[in-house]
Amino acid sequence: MSADPLDTLATIGKGKSTRSALRVVILALIAAASIASRLFSVIRFESIIHEFDPWFNFRATKYLVANGFYSFWDWFDDRTWHPLGRVTGGTLYPGLMVTSGAIWHALRALTIPVDIRNVCVLLAPAFSGLTAIAAYLLTNEMTTSNSAGLLAALFMGIAPGYISRSVAGSYDNEAIAIFLLVFTFFLWIKALKQGSMLWGALCALFYGYMVASWGGYAFITCLLPLHSFVLICMGRYSTRLYVAYTTWYALGTLASMQIPFVGFLPVKTSEHMPALGIFGFLQLLAFLDYVRSAIPSRQFQSFLWIFAGGIFTIGLAGLVVATSAGIIAPWSGRFYSLWDTGYAKIHIPIIASVSEHQPTAWPAFFFDLNMLVFLFPVGVYLCFQELADEHVFIIVYAVFGSYFAGVMVRLMLTLTPVVCVAAAIAISTLLDTYLDTKTPPEDQQSAEGSEKKSAKPGLKSASKPVVGVYSIWSKGLMVGSFSIYLLIFVLHCTWVTSNAYSSPSVVLASRMPDGSQHIIDDYREAYQWLRQNTKEDAKIMSWWDYGYQIGGMADRPTLVDNNTWNNTHIATVGKAMSSREEVSYPIMRQHEVDYVLVVFGGLLGYSGDDINKFLWMVRIAEGIWPDEVNERSFFTPRGEYRVDGEATETMKNSLMYKMSYYNFNNLFPPGQAVDRMRQARLPEVGPTLSTMEEAFTSENWIIRIYKVKDLDNLGRDHISAAAFDRGQKKRKATKKRGPRVLRVE
Amino acid sequence: MRSLFSLFVFLFAVSVSAVSTTGNRLLAILDDVADKENYSKFLGDLASRGFELTFETPKSETLALFHLGERKYDHVIFFPTKTKGLGPNLTPNILVQFLNANGNVLVTLSSGVVAPNSLVSFLAELDIQLPVDRTGLVVDHFNYDTASAADLHDVLLLPPPTAVRSDIKNLFGAGAPADSVVAFPRGVGAALGASELLTPIVRAPRTAYSYNPKEQAEVVDDLFGAGEQLSLVSSFQALNSARLVLLGSAELLQDKWLDEAEVTKVDGKKAKTFNREFAKRLSAWAFQELGVLRVNWIEHRLDEAGGSNETNPKIYRIKNKVSYTISLSEYAYDTWSAFNVPTNDVLQLEFSMLSPFHRLPLSFDKTRSTKDAAAYTTTFVLPDQHGIFNFKINYKRPFLSNVEEKNTVSVRHMAHNEWPRSFAISGAWPWIAGIAVTVTGWIGFCALWLYSAPPTDKKKQTKKTQ
Repeated sequence: MSADPLDTLATIGKGKSTRSALRVVILALIAAASIASRLFSVIRFESIIHEFDPWFNFRATKYLVANGFYSFWDWFDDRTWHPLGRVTGGTLYPGLMVTSGAIWHALRALTIPVDIRNVCVLLAPAFSGLTAIAAYLLTNEMTTSNSAGLLAALFMGIAPGYISRSVAGSYDNEAIAIFLLVFTFFLWIKALKQGSMLWGALCALFYGYMVASWGGYAFITCLLPLHSFVLICMGRYSTRLYVAYTTWYALGTLASMQIPFVGFLPVKTSEHMPALGIFGFLQLLAFLDYVRSAIPSRQFQSFLWIFAGGIFTIGLAGLVVATSAGIIAPWSGRFYSLWDTGYAKIHIPIIASVSEHQPTAWPAFFFDLNMLVFLFPVGVYLCFQELADEHVFIIVYAVFGSYFAGVMVRLMLTLTPVVCVAAAIAISTLLDTYLDTKTPPEDQQSAEGSEKKSAKPGLKSASKPVVGVYSIWSKGLMVGSFSIYLLIFVLHCTWVTSNAYSSPSVVLASRMPDGSQHIIDDYREAYQWLRQNTKEDAKIMSWWDYGYQIGGMADRPTLVDNNTWNNTHIATVGKAMSSREEVSYPIMRQHEVDYVLVVFGGLLGYSGDDINKFLWMVRIAEGIWPDEVNERSFFTPRGEYRVDGEATETMKNSLMYKMSYYNFNNLFPPGQAVDRMRQARLPEVGPTLSTMEEAFTSENWIIRIYKVKDLDNLGRDHISAAAFDRGQKKRKATKKRGPRVLRVE
Repeated sequence: MRSLFSLFVFLFAVSVSAVSTTGNRLLAILDDVADKENYSKFLGDLASRGFELTFETPKSETLALFHLGERKYDHVIFFPTKTKGLGPNLTPNILVQFLNANGNVLVTLSSGVVAPNSLVSFLAELDIQLPVDRTGLVVDHFNYDTASAADLHDVLLLPPPTAVRSDIKNLFGAGAPADSVVAFPRGVGAALGASELLTPIVRAPRTAYSYNPKEQAEVVDDLFGAGEQLSLVSSFQALNSARLVLLGSAELLQDKWLDEAEVTKVDGKKAKTFNREFAKRLSAWAFQELGVLRVNWIEHRLDEAGGSNETNPKIYRIKNKVSYTISLSEYAYDTWSAFNVPTNDVLQLEFSMLSPFHRLPLSFDKTRSTKDAAAYTTTFVLPDQHGIFNFKINYKRPFLSNVEEKNTVSVRHMAHNEWPRSFAISGAWPWIAGIAVTVTGWIGFCALWLYSAPPTDKKKQTKKTQ
């Protein structure tokens, strides 16, 4: 009791158990912070499912909860892709829905009656807390520094690159997949380090969960064999690697094949071939290793290595041959676009039309990762310094993650974990060096310095000039500046989360002149109208972007939706939208369309409307019907895409143009109709529609719904019937020149 | 249940009116209400069949086809009127609306009276063309009544109508005495367009032609129509089965022609007219008393041993065997009877998604038919394609009301537990045997490993080499 309170505090901090207790508390706080920062959207708006894909996941979850697992597994969804239907149970990754279903059931078993919607909305934040912990575990495998893991957890928790896909309400596969990704990597490192079958099996188990959750599992499927291959090439083949890899591959592949959507892909497609190849290669190596141990002969050994190389080459050649012969499915289009960013634009417009498949712009890296993007190479460099098996993993991951993140915007997500880990290693090394309050004794300086260099290599600037560490000022400067950087990082993350990533996109927010928030709620208004005013099986045709939302919010069957599995069907809708009424009407009749929904931003200046997406519809339709739809004819002779009086006849006669601008000029004084989105003055006479009638237009004209007319009761074509209704008399046939058409029967 | 209910409603309706299937409120438009005396027999026939007749002139202010958006009358007859237009209550748009609201129309024309503008443009919408200047006279110098039209040859003697096509029942001329004729006095012929909804009931003979007696008395240069292209009595049935009959000669309905016992053919033979029966059938068809089909019920179900017996399920599985049955009745004047498909015709069922996957003839099912309802059925195996399919009956024939029935069902894929088990597939036996061998081999190896102690001295050696 006589001791100084400061001293007691320091001794408490030195105790092992107190340290780990502190670590747990800090980790819990980090998890809480990462959850809290994702709740902006709920506070700003409401507890609502965001964007597009989450609406499908939400709908599927509701189906799962209502009908049980087996009917979900065999779910045939007859309310999408009318009239083809979708074998939904076999074409989705069920992990997400099953996870939230299980949580919901568990909560109910604990007599906590919670709405399934709230489970879905809050699932992503909850899992981001787990991701932070997984990042802690993974980083702890890399370094002995205690702070690195905590820093990695903190970075993972609040890095905007991850938050962008995991705010509350963003109920998408990535919500749980990133946690599984990081955790699987942790288990892999653990299995590799210990050569343990148990950890390998656990790794396979979580890999199976990952496969059940996200298509991005292929990233793991390729990264682990690649890591193993690099290790082998470095001459680091060991029984540890053999045990870890074969356990993971055998069990993981079996687990992945249980998912109907994946099925036999692991043995059929090229994406999975590296894993299989390395598996075989490892068997060979193990065999050769055994032989080598049995017959000690150097010449024979080198011969065996050549033999192994030969086998590998033959295997590779066999793979190429099998692929070209069609036994193994060639790389899918989405994969080609990973190598050649221009590929999709030319060959698969449907993939290129999705904004998240575009190549990443450079500022996005800074926006999503802030200062971590600068610390990332430092961390990778530090890994080179140590270069144990697990550091090789970080290096391999860093190289591939960076490449893919540069190719596709959405793959920023897979880069974020390694950036966080590497940056945490870098910062913790810095802090460990500079935050040491003890000044090393003068006489040990040189000895210790040389010892450190050889035994524990760190960042050059941190390890070599030990002189700097003697000065309390340089310590203070370094620590102080980094504290400021870290604070700025937190500020940046919070700002980005709150301003860029928390909008549900179902609801648009704008500012009134007095600065107060004004909610534009046209989407929900229109979907509610559909829900309340149309038959339960009224088929809605719209561009595929809105399919999931119509299915989820309006509960009406749609022709196409965001699960773009059938390009022809989408092209059919594109053709109906981009053709003349006379062409579109039979298509709509054939598909039993009752209502057509278009998004129009001309009144409000909303940029995400259908006229702006229109060229994609034209392109996709042209891909299937090059003779009937022609992109060039939507451009003026000078090559401009116009909607005003100068627009081409094809444009003006297209169904999409007509539906967008129908009755629009009645809002304005004659001749002054202006499209605020495209700043175009529209022609004085608006388009006329004869095969459909306006059914609903939302408050700000963002959503316009048209009802497709039935066949004319009197057998006339719609144009003349509409003309008759407007009071135009039919010209007497007798006054027509030319021979009368005789009736033959 | 629904069919029972509708049957009940129907029986109730029968007890009230015992006439047309769509109602008995009949409006007759005349120039002068007193003119109805000319048509007393025809109108008397209608009244005796249970129609409530209302007479109006086009100028009447109380005349309106609709009241508060609902039809006020079920049927309208237009007798020739001398007024040029029909006033604001009978514009072409209102008449089109009337047809769209399931109202039926019988239009009569007369060569002596100029057809009103409104009717002409209304008929033009249906693709029926009237002669230029809205007046014309059909004459035939080879088929006329020598007794009454010796000079002008404008009372045509026509054989009773025959079936338009071989697969259609002869509704209007069946059972007519062999030598009877339909006398068609001073009528107007119309030219029909190519519309599928139009069917001529009586065509002009090959030697007939139409001319304008006022302008073309001397020379007929620009012929409006001749021969079979002139339709004297035409029918139109809209997609909603609302009907319109255009009768070229209003005089045919007048008392003196309705009952005239005898006419003289060109060859001097006397013949009896069929006019009264013809007028009755014509009005009965127009006002939905004849040729009306009713779908009593539709049933489809799984036809597999041990399968569910649910009627009209919402979902089937691919390659299920399914039976489909439809029950049809036909109405004639006051009774429903079993509808027998004409001998050359077939009732077909389509099972379609975007395009038909099956188009199957339905066969008469005696066991499920009753006296007043005929059941047609077929059994087939669903295609090996999942999707949202329709059972479609699209039976549209001239003179029969349209039957267009669509029952939507989903056809799902095989569920994960509906495939045969692996041991039931002989091709899988080698693999199953492989599993068994591996399992027993592994267990055997483990046992061997556990119960065989390794030699102690050699162990050291192997370790050394490692």
